[in-house]
Amino acid sequence: MASQRIFQLGLRRAAAAPGFTRFQPAGRMVQRRLAATHNVSSAEGQEILVKQRLQRPVSPHLTIYRPQITWYASSFNRITGILLSGGLYIFGLSYLAAPALGWHLETPSLVAAVASWPVAVKIAAKATAAFPFFFHSINGIRHLTWDLGIGFKNKTVIQTGWTAVGLTVALGAYYTFVG
Amino acid sequence: MASIMRPGLLRQACSPAASQRMLSTFAASSVKRSSPLAQQIRPAFERSSILKSTRVAAFHATRSQQILPAPPQRVVGTANDPTPVPPPSPSHGSYHWSFERAISAGLIPLCVAPFAAGSLNPVMDSILCALLVVHSHIGFEACIIDYFPKRRVPLLFNSANWALRIGTVLLGLSLYSFETNDVGITELVKRLWAA
Repeated sequence: MASQRIFQLGLRRAAAAPGFTRFQPAGRMVQRRLAATHNVSSAEGQEILVKQRLQRPVSPHLTIYRPQITWYASSFNRITGILLSGGLYIFGLSYLAAPALGWHLETPSLVAAVASWPVAVKIAAKATAAFPFFFHSINGIRHLTWDLGIGFKNKTVIQTGWTAVGLTVALGAYYTFVG
Repeated sequence: MASIMRPGLLRQACSPAASQRMLSTFAASSVKRSSPLAQQIRPAFERSSILKSTRVAAFHATRSQQILPAPPQRVVGTANDPTPVPPPSPSHGSYHWSFERAISAGLIPLCVAPFAAGSLNPVMDSILCALLVVHSHIGFEACIIDYFPKRRVPLLFNSANWALRIGTVLLGLSLYSFETNDVGITELVKRLWAA
């Protein structure tokens, strides 16, 4: 199809061109391509390739999946773990640096500082600590049972997942507002 | 239908100089460098003047939702090289896995006991601290391995790992100091909760 058209166009162009009378040797194909090419060394080519790879679309993840207790609980397990351990690391490193920085992080000063907070701030602080702690602990037991090979049926996973959420809400709320 | 699939084609057909351009095979001057025809002919890495949305629209029906930019991508070796398989070692495999689970399982009674008894005695509290340090270290290490892949960002991987190691050692030192000079973690939490 394309070659036919090019042939026709060539004929047409040849008929119309003023320089048609100029002799062209028979049987010799004169072909011109519109590709702009230039020499690239192997190293430069690699660089172009690396840059081009960065422009490839990133495969979609997380946002395209339906929120389900199976994978939501798993990601929250990691998020709460990072929160709790991060808190521990921050407290530990500050406690170590406290003498040098002149801070007072001994138990009596901490207790006195917290005692002076308004009730709303206390409740917020307790909730921030309690909910991640209970979720990570209860969900951790779920993960340990899976490590024993128990409770792998999809229905069981969903049931235990929502049970963990329910227990977290109950215990978290109790220790935030009552305990 | 073709116009939906390939918007670039549509644009070419609709532009006023389309017939002239389609009929001219040899005259390079009549083909604008930005035209889709020239874009197709030029090497792929030079196709920058064509709109990105025009290129992407042919394959994607929905807007791309990029959470994070792609980390650097480089290819080591050729496509025919086999995937490097690390030598099997139980200390990086089954022993390590069991050790992690033993730590986690050991935390269960130590986390339940303070709720039942009100607090822990200094020895149990120290064991709890030690287990928490190891458990936290393992957790952060897993995050570093997952999110800063060594193959893609070796420098970030190494620096994050070393920062974690230093942090863990300092945390152990700090908790030792807290356990010996102060009241202990469970007692601190108990007093803070009652404050």
